[in-house]
Amino acid sequence: MTTTERHPIRSAEAAAKQVSPSTAPKKRKRISTAEKKRRRAGWLMITPSVIHVGLWTLIPVIATFYLSFTDYGIFAAPKWIWFDNYVEMFNDAVFMQSIGNTVWYTFWTVPVSMAVAVVVAVLLNQGLKLQKFYRTAFFLPQVTATVAIAMVWLWIFNPQYGLLNAMLETLGLPGQAWLVDPQWALPAVILVGAWQGIGIKMLIYIAALQNIDESLYEAASLDGASSIRKFFSITVPMLKPATFFVFIISIIGAFQVFDQIYVLTDGGPANATTMMTYEVYRSAFQEFRMGMASAQSVVLFAFLLFVTLISRRVTKEED
Amino acid sequence: MRRTASVAMVALLGLGLAACSAGEADADLNPDEVSGEISLLTPIFEGSPGQDLLEDELLPQFYEEYPNVTVNVDYTTYGNLNEKLTTAVVSGLVPDVMLMGVGWIEAFADKGVLADLGELGLSEDELKESYTDEIVEAGMWDGNVYAVPIMLDTRFGVARMDILKEAGYDSPPSSWEELIEIAEATTVRSDNGSLERAGFDMMSLDARQAFETMLFSAGGALFNEDATEPAFNSDEGVAALGLMADLVNKYEVEDIGFTSTDDIVNPLINGRAAMGIAHNNLWTQALEADESVLDDLEPFVIQGDASGMFFGGTLATVANNSKNPQAARALLEFLSSPDAALAANEQRGNVPALTELLDSDYVQSNRFVQFAMENLDVAQREGGPSQWLEVRGDFAPAVQGALLGQKTPEEALDDLAALVQTAIDR
Repeated sequence: MTTTERHPIRSAEAAAKQVSPSTAPKKRKRISTAEKKRRRAGWLMITPSVIHVGLWTLIPVIATFYLSFTDYGIFAAPKWIWFDNYVEMFNDAVFMQSIGNTVWYTFWTVPVSMAVAVVVAVLLNQGLKLQKFYRTAFFLPQVTATVAIAMVWLWIFNPQYGLLNAMLETLGLPGQAWLVDPQWALPAVILVGAWQGIGIKMLIYIAALQNIDESLYEAASLDGASSIRKFFSITVPMLKPATFFVFIISIIGAFQVFDQIYVLTDGGPANATTMMTYEVYRSAFQEFRMGMASAQSVVLFAFLLFVTLISRRVTKEED
Repeated sequence: MRRTASVAMVALLGLGLAACSAGEADADLNPDEVSGEISLLTPIFEGSPGQDLLEDELLPQFYEEYPNVTVNVDYTTYGNLNEKLTTAVVSGLVPDVMLMGVGWIEAFADKGVLADLGELGLSEDELKESYTDEIVEAGMWDGNVYAVPIMLDTRFGVARMDILKEAGYDSPPSSWEELIEIAEATTVRSDNGSLERAGFDMMSLDARQAFETMLFSAGGALFNEDATEPAFNSDEGVAALGLMADLVNKYEVEDIGFTSTDDIVNPLINGRAAMGIAHNNLWTQALEADESVLDDLEPFVIQGDASGMFFGGTLATVANNSKNPQAARALLEFLSSPDAALAANEQRGNVPALTELLDSDYVQSNRFVQFAMENLDVAQREGGPSQWLEVRGDFAPAVQGALLGQKTPEEALDDLAALVQTAIDR
């Protein structure tokens, strides 16, 4: 008997247990005093977290939904206006542009940083010399303040003194006004986003790579598989759970991009790099329109929920 | 001397108080009777030098005069001031004394956050004895005084006279036509056409403020007189933005991206621009970066159909719900007194708002600050409606859109005016 076959006796017992709840006699399970104490202790232990989540997450989320239907400018009580904020938002060319920019930013940063991260993770998992140094170097952008990083990139992108144009010049290529030319500003921001996102993804991939059973590679080697074949036939499939996780957190992160836009371009030039989060910030703290900012946040939330559900569905189907 | 001046200022304000208002709130401050703990939110005095000035020099002088008052300082920057004030208002913890910018008073006064200083004894007429009219009006809303100016930030034209002289010009431009002519003559491009020196730089300054300076030089205004409608899309506004766009696209005296607001060294200091619109602190920057260029930097008012000079600045306000209004008022008066204001201006390289400080050593030793003060009568401010803070962020994209050729100046300004009008009507 193989391990996948079901034991006839156990199966029968299991079937017997699967009686419809409506027809099964309700037996009240007696809980021992020790069990009660354990449960009470459990509740006590999670209470701080529940209070924290309720106070700082649940209430703000509910408040955001409520405020999105109001005209709330801080200085006076919110006034219920039904869907006016949503109608105005979807008729606002700048907000629509911010949606387009956010989707475009996500479309490029997520796959690019994931692809680079997995390659770097595989390379750094080979037992290279100075492995720790490289891992630290790749992870450094993740633990460095985005504002500090953005300041460095401001220099790199500087049309006159910047590193990027200097490199292009040595190659005989024309330099660009990276952050002030609408044609180049968004790609420049995408480049920074993709680069900055590599570190954390690489770390997750390295952890996942270390969980892959070495015997799979050994068996493949015996069968004469090349390194590339092993990568695509073993590594990539075995990294699937990690890839899904990285994919989801990357999308969420990309949709929430804010600080580098704030420092690098301020949404410009001519709104070329404005993002949904930046518009939320503008509505809330520059225009004092908290109701509108809440409505924009709800739309951002809806986008993230939609993308996450689609990703889950796709992954489930593949499984 | 500082203490004497502070006392004199308090006495002066006290006199005005007795002259123009009645009631208990109008009584002069008796330092022994003024007490309490108050908070000060300040976007100036940030960083170590500013903090040292405030805490080691200014506040001890204040405490000497008002020993029963304690001041808790909350430092911020103009970049974060909006968030600070917004969250303060929402949480109901509005600081007793708030320093805020020109263009900000209208919004917070309209919403009832600020105390009417008239009720504390400060009248418009009295302030106009010490400040130019436009500066006093920057602190007013709906006919009442809500803020007292401390320092100004001005923008005006600056020319590198060594470069202009090389090109055969002895003085800065005195009209738009001359500005175009000199800018073209001083622009330098390499053989492959890349820009090496801009004839007239507008990009190292915030796009909104650059446009406003040009708008004022065209004789235009941001809003109509009662600030109920935008006026910047008038013929003057279109001409001003048209000139800016032409300087880039037609006369090619500057390229997009040649300079930026992030540049560490101003292009006028390192010779990458022959002329430009600059902040008065360019003098201080040059003093630190390259003293040798100071003699060659010549300030000028950009002259079109009118005189183009822009001013922003910092004003002191008192919260409407302050629990210690007398202590808050005492601090406001102290910070806006000649000595304290002079020290703050000197530390930041800014322009004192008080007319009497024109004769001070600091102003006389800083040619740009002196120039700014001598021309304050033509300087105009931004703002106007209570929605200014809501809409000011829309100006830069509109101006950039015109400079990039995405829209004509007329289209850009009309679209912007529609946005602004919607906000005003909201």
